[in-house]
Amino acid sequence: MDHHHTHGTNSRELQMARSMCWHCQSEVSGEYFCERCVKVQPVSKDLDYFTCMGFPRRLTIDLRQLETKFYELSRAFHPDFFQNKSEEEQTISLGNSAMLNTAYRMLRDPIQRAEYLLDLEAGAVKEIRTSPPADLFEEILELQDTLDEYRATDRTSETGRQLRTKLLAEQHTLEQRKRSMETQLQQLFTDWDALQDRGEANSQTRVERDRLLKQMREILSNRAYVKNIVNDLVATIA
Amino acid sequence: MAYSDKVVDHFNNPRNMGSFKKDEDGVGTGMVGAPECGDVMKLQIKVQNDTIVDAKFKTFGCGSAIASSSLATEWLKGKTIEEAQKIKNTDIVQELNLPPVKIHCSVLAEDAIKAALADYQKKADGQPADAK
Repeated sequence: MDHHHTHGTNSRELQMARSMCWHCQSEVSGEYFCERCVKVQPVSKDLDYFTCMGFPRRLTIDLRQLETKFYELSRAFHPDFFQNKSEEEQTISLGNSAMLNTAYRMLRDPIQRAEYLLDLEAGAVKEIRTSPPADLFEEILELQDTLDEYRATDRTSETGRQLRTKLLAEQHTLEQRKRSMETQLQQLFTDWDALQDRGEANSQTRVERDRLLKQMREILSNRAYVKNIVNDLVATIA
Repeated sequence: MAYSDKVVDHFNNPRNMGSFKKDEDGVGTGMVGAPECGDVMKLQIKVQNDTIVDAKFKTFGCGSAIASSSLATEWLKGKTIEEAQKIKNTDIVQELNLPPVKIHCSVLAEDAIKAALADYQKKADGQPADAK
């Protein structure tokens, strides 16, 4: 058995900022706390949010498990429990709690989670620039014209009613498209996770990896444009 | 956060709003978007004898994005292709007094200019020599 393995000898799931306790300088062996002087330890600032919550970098996450972990860590780091402690400990508890909150918010939402993972993997994706979806843009700009027209029209007039019917139909179509994009994304998420689980690293998996990242990037972007115009439609028609 | 007077002016009285036919002679179209905020920008130039004689834009986005593209079309008119290439997003930031959170709007406008110029160039290069 390899005793030098970084995670083999201690029970910590989180990577801490330092391996030495900031207070008593002994090696930190407890989970988030120094076993010798019982002081809370700062979580490493370089942690990605997946690791921070003790989850692997996957796009499908058990939300109940995520919540449980969030509450468990919240209790461990909550500033309320450090009110009577030293200033250093209060600062650490505050920093850890802030990071925890951001991590939870980011991972809870599947779209934000995917955006975040793409950012983490961005190094490889940067070269694969996706071209802007010209047809979708034309559609959005045209719709924008109709919206402007509607805003300038008396809503009770015949033209106003006709425009409203047209816009409602557009809204319905776009919402459907958004949903279909989300279904496509869900499939890509599953494919991505399966690829990660296989854990192979050869030229074939690299091609597959880049394909998945590019497709996710593309659909996430298009979904953002559609979502924006749908919000505008809803706000205007309401 | 308040918009600067210049942004408000461009937003309330956008210059050169509209579009040209894409396949019209001498027209270059730039279509760009920012997925982070969902903004979409279309900027078109009409070129005669290497000079931009007209420019139009359509933008779906926030006030700063509209002002940036409106200002860009104003600047483009009368410039040669070469001069137009030199327009930088920082010029737009300065002119409109854009705050740091809105700098990406000016970047979008610069990208749109570049895309429109590239599209024009591509069309011009594809034309037979005797058409010039």
